[in-house]
Amino acid sequence: MKGKKIDEAKVKKMVRDGYAKVAVSGGCGCGCGPQCTSSAISKELGYSEKDIGEVPEGANLGLGCGNPIALASLKKGEVVMDLGSGGGFDCFLAASRVGKNGKVIGVDMTPEMLDRSRMNAKKGGYRNVEFRLGEIENLPAADNSVDVIISNCVINLAPDKLRVFSEAFRVLKPGGRLMVSDIVITRPLPEKVMGSVRAYVGCLSGAIMKDDYLKMIRSAGFRSPRVVGETQYPVSYMKNDESAKAIGKEAGLTEKELERLGASILSIRVSAVKG
Amino acid sequence: MRRQLMDIICCPVCKGDLALTVNKEDKDEIVEGSLRCGKCAFDYPIEDGIPNLLPPEMHKK
Repeated sequence: MKGKKIDEAKVKKMVRDGYAKVAVSGGCGCGCGPQCTSSAISKELGYSEKDIGEVPEGANLGLGCGNPIALASLKKGEVVMDLGSGGGFDCFLAASRVGKNGKVIGVDMTPEMLDRSRMNAKKGGYRNVEFRLGEIENLPAADNSVDVIISNCVINLAPDKLRVFSEAFRVLKPGGRLMVSDIVITRPLPEKVMGSVRAYVGCLSGAIMKDDYLKMIRSAGFRSPRVVGETQYPVSYMKNDESAKAIGKEAGLTEKELERLGASILSIRVSAVKG
Repeated sequence: MRRQLMDIICCPVCKGDLALTVNKEDKDEIVEGSLRCGKCAFDYPIEDGIPNLLPPEMHKK
């Protein structure tokens, strides 16, 4: 990869710290600013009013890039693992889909997020959702133990994405599904942005090219990953977003450059099967 | 952490089985305790009902 790369060991720490702050403040962190509400963003990303109303208040931090298709495919009794479960929004939606005989396990490496999601689970009375502190590069789950892996705008934050996909492959049962949404790019990021911590935590400079993303899923062993949905990241948010503006300012981007940058960011939903 | 989760979880490093020690349990779940990986000789704590299964080098303190 070209451009100035941030030290990999530091990346995890800064992602943890960044999202700990979001967990405590109730946030918006990734691609949305304080002027827009979490639920407005979630609607734009494809969640229904019903989805948003269904979960405990505070579970939806508006951080994801949207994973409603994955949730819709879940069946009663399935075991689901959410990589980077955050406030627990997708876990709670998944919990209702898989029913009382199913299980949802949320994994997140930020203790503050876990506190929050656990509180939300109690508030909502969910009995089939569990959260654990863990790293998505080192999943604490046995081989062949999970039916579906979901993840919503998280894998871009992992320095070693191939390892994340390989771990997902390992824990999935044969025939299990990987259904993730994430931020990818269609043009290499300007070098000036690559070195920005703020851009990394904001799900930007960790994002890789779409083709490379799919190639990695294949390298991990998955059969024919498919892009089942693709949306241009809501540029309107990006333009008015404080953190996007800050990234632009820090990197010395002109407004045009920032716009061009925005246009190269995609949110994709990818589905793949452990064949 | 609920007991039934034991059949899914494993050591994040060697993927081996974990031995559960319960210090406090309420009617729903294990609130305090630990999960030991014999092979890695490491105790993963369970605090406030949440097992900390981050790799050993990421445990604070």
